[in-house]
Amino acid sequence: MDGKVVVVTSGKGGVGKTTVTSSLGAALALQGKRVAVVDMDIGLRNLDVIMGLENRIVFNVVDVVQGRCKLKQAMIKDRRINNLYLIPASQSDEKNVIQPENMKWLCNRLKKEFDFTLLDCPAGIEQGFKNSIEAADEAIVVCMPEISSVRDADRVIGLLYSRSITPKLVVNRIIPKMVEKGDMLSHKDVVEVLSIDLIGLVEMDESVVVSSNTGLPIVMQKESKAGRAFMQIAMRMNGHPDLPVEDPMAPKSFWKKLGGKISRKNKVH
Amino acid sequence: MMMFNALLKKLMNRGDDSKNVAKKRLKFALVYDKLEIKEDMLEDLQRDLIEVISRYFEIDRQHMSLDIERSEESSALIMNTPILAARHKKPQPDNARA
Ligand SMILES: Nc1ncnc2c1ncn2[C@@H]1O[C@H](COP(=O)(O)OP(=O)(O)OP(=O)(O)O)[C@@H](O)[C@H]1O
Ligand SMILES: [Mg+2]
Repeated sequence: MDGKVVVVTSGKGGVGKTTVTSSLGAALALQGKRVAVVDMDIGLRNLDVIMGLENRIVFNVVDVVQGRCKLKQAMIKDRRINNLYLIPASQSDEKNVIQPENMKWLCNRLKKEFDFTLLDCPAGIEQGFKNSIEAADEAIVVCMPEISSVRDADRVIGLLYSRSITPKLVVNRIIPKMVEKGDMLSHKDVVEVLSIDLIGLVEMDESVVVSSNTGLPIVMQKESKAGRAFMQIAMRMNGHPDLPVEDPMAPKSFWKKLGGKISRKNKVH
Repeated sequence: MMMFNALLKKLMNRGDDSKNVAKKRLKFALVYDKLEIKEDMLEDLQRDLIEVISRYFEIDRQHMSLDIERSEESSALIMNTPILAARHKKPQPDNARA
C-alpha cells in the first residue's frame, strides 16, 4: 500500500514550518514509521541544519528530479533515528527549476517506500508552494496566534481547498501567559476564524531554540513541552486521530489561583 | 502588583482585550480579502447577466450598472437595469438555440 504525502505550509514566513516538519518527521519515525522529509525551500535550505544533517549533503532534490543522481543517493539517513531520511534542497538553484510534474514523479516514488513523506514548503504562494502542494495527499497548515499569520493561513487554506485538500491546523508559538491576559489570540479564536480542524498546539518553548542550536531533534529532548506536543501530533497523524488536544496553560501562581476563584464567583452573580 | 493589575483588567473589561481587537480586525480582513475579484470578472459577469436577462426582458444596456457594495456588516452585489419590455415568447432552453 502507498504511503501518504503531507505538505507543511503556512503562507507567512518564519512561523515554524521547518520546525514542525523536522519534529514530526522524527516523531513519526520514533513511532515506528518509515519517513522521508523533503526540503522544498530551494535556494534557502534549512531543514538540513535543523535536523543536524548539514555536513552529509552530497546530492539534493534538484539533482534527483534533473536526473543527475539516483533517488537513493540524495537520501540522507538519520543515524540517531531509524527509518528517517532527509532529501535536502539545493542551495544554488531557483525555485522554478522544479516543476509540478517533477514533484508528482518524485512523490510517487517516495510513496512506494515510505509511510510518510513530509514536504517542508517555502513561505509564500508562488512556485515553491505550488510545487509542494502538487503531489500532496494531506496538508498541515502552521500558524502563529497573530493577526498576519492567521490571515495568510486563511489564504493558503483556500488554495488547498481548491485542490481538494482539507488541511489540519497547528497553532505554534503560543504564549499561555499572554493568552490568559487577553493579549494573544487563543487557539480557540484562531480555530473559530479559520474554521478548520486542529491537529495540535505548540507553545513558545526555549527547547526549540536549544534544539536548533544542537541539531538534536526536539522530540528526543526529555522535558520539552514542544517535544511532547509534536509526539502527540504525530500520533494523531498516525492512527490516533481522536487523541485529545491539551490546552497549553501558564503555570498557576498564587495570585492567579485566587484571581480564578474571584472571577468564577463573579460570573455566578 | 503586576499580577493584580492583570486580574483587575480581566474583571473590569472583557471586551477590549487586545486579542479581541485582533479577532475583530481579522474577521473583517478575511471577509474583505475574499471579496477581492480580478479586474475583468465583473465585466464577464455583466456580459453573462445581460445574456440571461435578455432572454426574458428587453433591457437598456447603456444604463445598466453592476457593483459590489461593501459595508462593515455585509456586502452585496447590486445590479440595476432599466427594463424596456418583457419578452412574451417562452425562452428556448440553451441546447435548442444554436
Ligand atoms: N514553538 C516554538 N518555540 C520557540 N521558538 C520557535 C518555535 N517554533 C519555531 N521557533 C523558532 O522560530 C524561528 C522560525 O522557525 P522555522 O524556521 O521553523 O519557521 P519557517 O516557517 O520554516 O520559516 P521560513 O518561512 O523562513 O522557512 C526559528 O528560529 C525557530 O527556532
Ligand atoms: Mg522553513
